[in-house]
Amino acid sequence: METMLEEKRVLTGNEAISRGFYEAGGKIAASYPGSPTVEIIEKIKEYEEVYAEFSTNEKVALEVAIGGSFYGVRSLAAMKHVGVNIAADPLMTFTETETNGGFVLVSGDDPGLASSQNEQDNRIFGKFANMAIVDPSDGQEAKDFTKRAFEISEEFHAPVMLRITSRLCHSRSVVRIEERKVPENKYGMDPNHEKYCMIPSSSRKAQFFMRERLEKLEEYAYDTDLNRLEQKEGTDTLIITSGLMYQNLKELDPEVSIWKLGLIYPISEKRAREIASQYKRVIVLEEMMPFIENELKLMGIACEGKKYFSFTGELHINHIEEGLHKAGVIQEKKTHDYELRDTVPRPPLFCTGCPHRPTFDIIKKSKAKIVIGDIGCYSLAHLPPFELSNSIISMGASIGIVKGLQKAMALHDDHEPLVAVIGDGTFFHSGIPGFINLLHQKKEKQNITIVVLDNRTTAMTGGQPNASSGLYNDRDDMKIGIKTLVESLGFDRIKEINQYDYKAAAQVFKEEIAHEGISIIVVNGPCALKYNLEEPYFYVDPHICISCRSCIKTGCPPLRMVKYEGIEKLKSSIDKDMCVGCSVCAQVCPVNAIKSSANIDREDEQIDH
Amino acid sequence: MITNIMLGGVGGQGLVLMTRIISQAALKAGYDVKSNDVVGLSQRGGMIWGNVRFGDKVYSPNIPPKEGDILVAMEPLEALRWTSELKDDGIIIMNTKRWYPMAVQQEKVNYPEEDIDNLKERYKVVEINTFEEAVKMGKKQISNVMLLGALAKQLSINTDIWKETIRDNVPRKYIDLNLEAFDYGYGFSG
Repeated sequence: METMLEEKRVLTGNEAISRGFYEAGGKIAASYPGSPTVEIIEKIKEYEEVYAEFSTNEKVALEVAIGGSFYGVRSLAAMKHVGVNIAADPLMTFTETETNGGFVLVSGDDPGLASSQNEQDNRIFGKFANMAIVDPSDGQEAKDFTKRAFEISEEFHAPVMLRITSRLCHSRSVVRIEERKVPENKYGMDPNHEKYCMIPSSSRKAQFFMRERLEKLEEYAYDTDLNRLEQKEGTDTLIITSGLMYQNLKELDPEVSIWKLGLIYPISEKRAREIASQYKRVIVLEEMMPFIENELKLMGIACEGKKYFSFTGELHINHIEEGLHKAGVIQEKKTHDYELRDTVPRPPLFCTGCPHRPTFDIIKKSKAKIVIGDIGCYSLAHLPPFELSNSIISMGASIGIVKGLQKAMALHDDHEPLVAVIGDGTFFHSGIPGFINLLHQKKEKQNITIVVLDNRTTAMTGGQPNASSGLYNDRDDMKIGIKTLVESLGFDRIKEINQYDYKAAAQVFKEEIAHEGISIIVVNGPCALKYNLEEPYFYVDPHICISCRSCIKTGCPPLRMVKYEGIEKLKSSIDKDMCVGCSVCAQVCPVNAIKSSANIDREDEQIDH
Repeated sequence: MITNIMLGGVGGQGLVLMTRIISQAALKAGYDVKSNDVVGLSQRGGMIWGNVRFGDKVYSPNIPPKEGDILVAMEPLEALRWTSELKDDGIIIMNTKRWYPMAVQQEKVNYPEEDIDNLKERYKVVEINTFEEAVKMGKKQISNVMLLGALAKQLSINTDIWKETIRDNVPRKYIDLNLEAFDYGYGFSG
């Protein structure tokens, strides 16, 4: 229902960006799924007038959006902060060119590391790449700034970074809905070869173009309404802030004037001086790095900031109050101290029926003691009960790292077997070059077992399709078999197993880990969530159970040791409403005490494995 | 005057839909509204939380510490955990079905039954085994809508608005079942 008269909706920051892209007449959008920005593309995909995709990785996503922009259509690439690292190569050169169709890069930063391996502040990246940066503070601004970013991009021929943090990506607020307006751009690939061919001769000129562009943007920043000065009578203190920090600050409503920046880079030096000169004290409030603070200091404007606020984590209302109290701006604190109740923790774990569970149960019982992990659901193997991962660095890194580790070990006559794991999404994202590299200077006694966990989806971010998903359902169009691909590269020892066939899988793992060379095990098992595993539940016969806890050690959520009436020892049990019937517990049980409810009528018979 | 609703649960229980429905109902009732969801490891059985704030004008989506008016807990241990966000005279609406965390399953610690029981001394606790009721009604997923019903009872937003919002957010073929679940929660007095 697209009725447009003052329609308001509650939208998350992500949804608001999608809507902004749509209203701005955007046509090409690409991303690789990564928290906190996953929903942007998922929502954009719902608009028929737009082409949107989850690309193989962030670099490809950025390139797809560049292609759109070259043609003259408004294009957007969205990714989590670390995704920009992958996309940095095309970004750093694309930014030298004169942007044609408006180009917006959404960077989802993650202060506090809610779901990331690092906390990098991509405002630095925006500056590094000579981009303008906008930083919205709520859903309405997320939508408005997306539209403004496209306008700025086309007016100044500059790519624009829309920087958003995980909190705002997932925070809902009220947003006014407007109509889609497609700008009247000229479409077509520019016949001037020099424009986008960034060989040294054109790139040298581009350095001057980028400088001029930035100067013009700084002039624009002087009186842009993206920035707003809220003056309070009778105060000699100015707080400069942006994004969600503005809203958190307003919650405290201290006796200060506020300069709220929407365009955080470039900052107009002239304007900053004019405003700062009216105040005795200037305090910058921002999460993570002192980005705005440093910009002001480079201009020679006296200010404080990180002195009072943490360099890491989110700054909540109480943290801001604490900082302003320390600074002497707030005399009396109103908010309570925050203390999370100290009780039993609840770390994340493999879902009920997850195909990764049997794999890590087998690896834990194997002779391999060093496991090089990677990024995906299987990173959770690092946590109890498995505690199996000696390293987790970045997408696809396990394969390169295990090679270097093995070469270093070999120089020290250390021949311990090594296991590296990688998921299907990560394999396609950036794992393949690592595999190819394994074939270089391959030696006989390299005992490396690489486990490719093919659950047929990019599961951790909510089950987006990837390059092998099409083999397993009709909706998805890419059908790349991982085994076929690595075979064609020239690996000679590749096994493919069914993760749910526990005993057969355990045998293969035993043989491959013992094998003194490189072997690859592609373990198949569809993601229990995405592919909706729902088989008849299993139950424990407490009279057969010997309380060995083999099943409990797999950590499957419905399992628990309980007291049965008339039985002295604790015995295993399964919550039947939670069990999805994957059968792994029954397969690890040494005495067949766990049975499928499908066989409930023939209870005396042995369960068929 | 801002109403602060805190939600706690276990990843995979459907907390995001809860915050969405509450937010939309608040908007329909004419309030300014902001919410938070923790998304990321959301489906993996870890602790999760969200919150909704509504009133005339809401700046931050975050509830200041200990200013939650109502805590909707989709699991008892999570009720205990998130009481740190609740006012001293706050209300807890709790699904009593237990999801045992890893450390309890691995017999490293006991599930904190006594602490959970003691919550009644400090807060008004509405306990419903919505999970069990939902299983009885034939659909586990409607458990949360029962909690929404119990929440609606504590708020002044009209039940018609709640029902309209639920209708907008659940699969068409389960609308009636969801409305029945809402009524069960709204009418619950136990």
